[in-house]
Amino acid sequence: MTETAKARLAIDIGGTFTDFILEDAGGELHSFKTLTTHEDYTKAIATGIDRLLAASGIAVDGIGQVLHATTLGSNTLLERTGAKTGLITTKGFRDVLEIRDLRMPRLYDQDWDKPETLVRRRWRRVAGGRMLADGTEMTPLDEADIREAVAFLKAGGITSVAVCLINSYANPAHEIRAGEIIREMWPEVHLSLSCELLPEEGEYPRTSTCVINAYVQPVFKDYIARLKGLIAAKGIAAPLFFMQSNGGLTPAETAAEQPIHIIESGPAAGVVGASILGAATGTGTMITLDIGGTTAKAALVQDGQPGMATEFQVGGHVLQTERLLSGGGFSLRVPAIDLAEVGAGGGSIVARDAAGVPQVGPRSAGSNPGPVCYGNGGSELTVTDCNLVLGYLNENSIAGGEMVLDRAAAVAACEAQLAAPLGKAPEEAAQGVFALGCMTMIQAIRAVTTERGQDPRDFAVFAFGGNGPLFAAGIAETLGCAKVIVPPAPGVFSALGLLCAEIEIHKSRSFRRLLDGAAVADAQAALAEMATLAEAEAQRPGGRLTATARMRYAGQSSDLLVPLGDPAALTEAAMRAAFTAEHDAVFKFTAPEGEPVRITAIELCYALPVGRLDPNRRRLAREGAASTQRAFFGAAGWLDAPVIPRTALTEATGPCIVTDPDATTLVPPGAVARVTGTGSLEIVLAAKVAAAAEDRQAENA
Amino acid sequence: MTSDTDAAIADPIAFQLFRHAITGIANEMALTIFRTAYSGVLKNIMDYSTAICDREGRLAAQGLSLPGHLCSIPVALKATLAAMDEPVAEGDVLVMNDPYSGGMHLPDIFTFKPVFVAGEIVAYACAVCHHTDVGGRVAGSNASDSTEIFQEGIRIPPLKLYRRGEVDRTLMAMLESNVRMPDRLRGDLRGQLAACRIAEQGVQALAKTEGAEAFVARLDELMSYSEILTRNGIRNLPDGEFTFTDYIDDDGIDVGKPIPLVCTVRKSGERLVMDWTGTSPQVKGAINNTFSYTAAASYTAVKTVLGDGAPNNDGVFRAIEVIAPEGTIANAVMPAACAARGLTGFRMADCAFGAMAGLAPGRVLACSDGGNTNVSIGGYDAGRKPFIFVDFVSAAWGARPWKDGLEGNTTLFANMASYSTETVESENPVLITVNEFVDDSAGAGKFRGGVAMRRDYMLLEDEAVLSVRADRQAFRPWGLDGGHDGAAGINVMNPEGEAKKLVSKFTMTMRKGDVLSHCLPSGGGYGNPLERDPAAVAEDWLDDFVSTETARDVYGVILTPEGAVDLPATQARRAELAA
Repeated sequence: MTETAKARLAIDIGGTFTDFILEDAGGELHSFKTLTTHEDYTKAIATGIDRLLAASGIAVDGIGQVLHATTLGSNTLLERTGAKTGLITTKGFRDVLEIRDLRMPRLYDQDWDKPETLVRRRWRRVAGGRMLADGTEMTPLDEADIREAVAFLKAGGITSVAVCLINSYANPAHEIRAGEIIREMWPEVHLSLSCELLPEEGEYPRTSTCVINAYVQPVFKDYIARLKGLIAAKGIAAPLFFMQSNGGLTPAETAAEQPIHIIESGPAAGVVGASILGAATGTGTMITLDIGGTTAKAALVQDGQPGMATEFQVGGHVLQTERLLSGGGFSLRVPAIDLAEVGAGGGSIVARDAAGVPQVGPRSAGSNPGPVCYGNGGSELTVTDCNLVLGYLNENSIAGGEMVLDRAAAVAACEAQLAAPLGKAPEEAAQGVFALGCMTMIQAIRAVTTERGQDPRDFAVFAFGGNGPLFAAGIAETLGCAKVIVPPAPGVFSALGLLCAEIEIHKSRSFRRLLDGAAVADAQAALAEMATLAEAEAQRPGGRLTATARMRYAGQSSDLLVPLGDPAALTEAAMRAAFTAEHDAVFKFTAPEGEPVRITAIELCYALPVGRLDPNRRRLAREGAASTQRAFFGAAGWLDAPVIPRTALTEATGPCIVTDPDATTLVPPGAVARVTGTGSLEIVLAAKVAAAAEDRQAENA
Repeated sequence: MTSDTDAAIADPIAFQLFRHAITGIANEMALTIFRTAYSGVLKNIMDYSTAICDREGRLAAQGLSLPGHLCSIPVALKATLAAMDEPVAEGDVLVMNDPYSGGMHLPDIFTFKPVFVAGEIVAYACAVCHHTDVGGRVAGSNASDSTEIFQEGIRIPPLKLYRRGEVDRTLMAMLESNVRMPDRLRGDLRGQLAACRIAEQGVQALAKTEGAEAFVARLDELMSYSEILTRNGIRNLPDGEFTFTDYIDDDGIDVGKPIPLVCTVRKSGERLVMDWTGTSPQVKGAINNTFSYTAAASYTAVKTVLGDGAPNNDGVFRAIEVIAPEGTIANAVMPAACAARGLTGFRMADCAFGAMAGLAPGRVLACSDGGNTNVSIGGYDAGRKPFIFVDFVSAAWGARPWKDGLEGNTTLFANMASYSTETVESENPVLITVNEFVDDSAGAGKFRGGVAMRRDYMLLEDEAVLSVRADRQAFRPWGLDGGHDGAAGINVMNPEGEAKKLVSKFTMTMRKGDVLSHCLPSGGGYGNPLERDPAAVAEDWLDDFVSTETARDVYGVILTPEGAVDLPATQARRAELAA
């Protein structure tokens, strides 16, 4: 049997829970959820594997693949628990890593501090030698400087070294030579060279990316070795793949060398899953919305393809909504699914400012003490408390019924902290908080739609995470979207997403040329080289190749990412046409025909399927008992809303509340919810239902 | 039931929803310019601002933008509207860059688009962008040694760039033939207009949902909201009056003649006045401010100290009164040159912080590096193709009364990004030979200022015009409460060769292989250096931020050769220095 004809195991480590989904050879899904063991992630993984194998009755040799997403990278950066790292750079440029681009994400804040640099100045050493932007050597590398730096770092107890020299993207000779000297003097050190990781112009992003790799690499190598050991010890002989920030899988061995690609792996898996499940129901174009307890994350999927960013920031505590105010974290220039995040979720605290105006988040009650209604000692009013006041949550249906919420406490908190000061009834105040919560989370959606020149009304909202299904309809209504999709198992959906991904290896390099025939030929040669590298990292031949270029009109100072398709079929005319089309789509204008076009970088994606979840299977259907509760809907007032377990639903008209063990879906009045062939819940909003009815009447008349 | 929210805000929740919506539109404008801009000044340095003003021209909502542009838009819009001799119609776009018709300096071109709902103006969509070049005697239109505005580029009085959707071709042709890089001007203007168009659509949609009158009322609430928060913050400051005086080195024309800046803060109850009376008369060099820039510097200091998070709009301006007598460097009149007025604005922000520190000691940071400074290198390559490289840098903060100042971070009056060295080198005939911190340069204190930053530029073409606008080479960034002053800035030509020291502001010819070494000042310190934690001194020593000598003679900290603190020796040394 091939690996894909066997069962596939997906493991997603999150901040609170580690989620498992096992897809057996017949396509059935088995899931399990356990608390993340932060002191050693493999503990929870061991528990999960044992429990799932026992529950599903699958033998260890029946597992053909293990797919993995983890927050290890982002946690290592946030908590500063990486390797003791040194940096060798060009003389005169010792502080590139700390100067960054000078910018800060907060204005009018004299208390602002930059995120503490990953390599302190004392461990940043310099060497003479200089390349020019055109790749010619101005001054030869001072090898004595390199040797001195190595001796210094070695004596200082450094375990991982990054090397990034000015203009090494244009000519890597000095950097490669420095690497040879380091290897020769210090064979056991972890070594990251910027010219191998990111041969692209821009010394700060390249230095930062290289340093991040050096900083997390020893941690990942150790973790991957332990994880492989654990899997082998369980008797599973299956390849291990990691989810990358770009939504593709990569073999564990490649991930261990270049961990920069797996820093934000969990959120990416959810978006990939959404793109596959959405496409299977005929919805290739959507906004994905992942709402948890403290944050809401949004991404855009168009024609089945998640929107991509070429660079993002990690390791800061500043969320990535404000695209103009960078500097909150460290620049990481690797392709990644373009996710925007705001600090609003179920646990967000509702507070009033000095003018008495209520605010949702960014402070959160988290899971401990959590909302007032959890009864764990939380005293500040949260979004979840307000949802309970409104009757949008069922007291007895949380966490599969293992937890009972205290509605009276939520009402009392809402009354005292918000309703009375505003002179409103508690349910009116709570309704306001719901609307404000939607509006706050919409900021994340705006960042990936309107700010990218897209109209959110053209998209369906695909909602997951513990709180996504509750807010999705409210958000969709506010934005004017027609439809909401809630996948099966919304609370463990990122693990499901792992089963939907392909291997993807991305390569990029600077390529500064005016677009002409010769440039296209040279680009093709470079892309062929990149394809060879990518194939080796994928460890499997026969992948699909797609090229992308960063291009601009000659006078412009920023690039557009232009998809070019098969690199073998590139021509000058096709590249110009692709660029012009992209320019027109983004900027709504094109320059005159003869305006010179410049290429600044080329990228290659090598993609290969490794077995993909069949989305067109209805799974987990079971009977369940429905009940009814009162829920408040603004002008419509208090209405009776049926509470229906997801497994028992086929079609219903709102108001109603659909419960999963780990999430609650709100179907507002007049909206129609039905279960689709993929087991997803599709909600058509009231405005759309009415419009469709009008259309039918018009047809009949 | 009655609400205890301020009476000015009828429904706090509906208000908050509206605030998110309108702020979203203003931010989207800013992002549109960011996405569509052609020039690096907009893209990398983000020297632009966007806003939505109400129908009277008052600032209601501002997009992400430079603090230095804080109140420029409403001042410019009101002046432009007052100058119109025909009614403003739907589809019109107004344009203006004249400092003496409400503008700032010539590179900053304002565009205003009226937003109509049912035939009535409900708001204006506004954008101001710093354009790379607007003509004049020096490439980049930024020279600090011009002496009258006529040398600085093309002046655009308040005019209609579009009439009912039709571009004024005469005006466009005039503009294009008077600038060095018409493609860039066109490209950046296009982005600016796209931003106004997007705001027009957004505001119209919002006004439709809310109803035009309700929309206008909500804009009023938004301004009241900021006024409430700002006045609330002012109330919490101590009452009193404090005058702070600082000096600009000179104006680059009368070299060596200091220019006094005098800021008096008067605070009583919820009233706060920033009064620049006593400040120097306007000067010959191009560093004269128009009123809005002086006001922006004042608001930036007060807002930062209040830390109230009030949205930037007319409500803030109502709560803080700014006085700047006409004919001074703080409020220049015709025909003063003002292209390089950024320098004065930054220095005034620092001066305003100084006044606030006197009013509310312990709540205000010490003096920052006085930047941004500006280095422009421009000329023609062998093929007669023009190149212009314009760099702005500011990087060191003064110490905070509770912790060290930042280094390598844009100062509070701007949020500029620096260029990547590799991008500079691949696009210009310029080589950056040094871009790093200056060892042992911070203003000492219990909390030290940020260290200085140095950037060196080598010319690779045969010849170019070099123009530098720097300061704080004579008057150093001040420390507070016993903290030492920061280091002075310095310009040196060919530091590895003849090493000729230059003045702070100049324009000269640069030849192939010449290297300009530009050191910014460092930040001032806070508190007595002898009270600095010896462990912090040792850490700084390891990072070359202090030398063994500075540790010993300024901080009184004796370090072992490995960098450990010798505590008994340190105690003795500190007693000796304190005596």
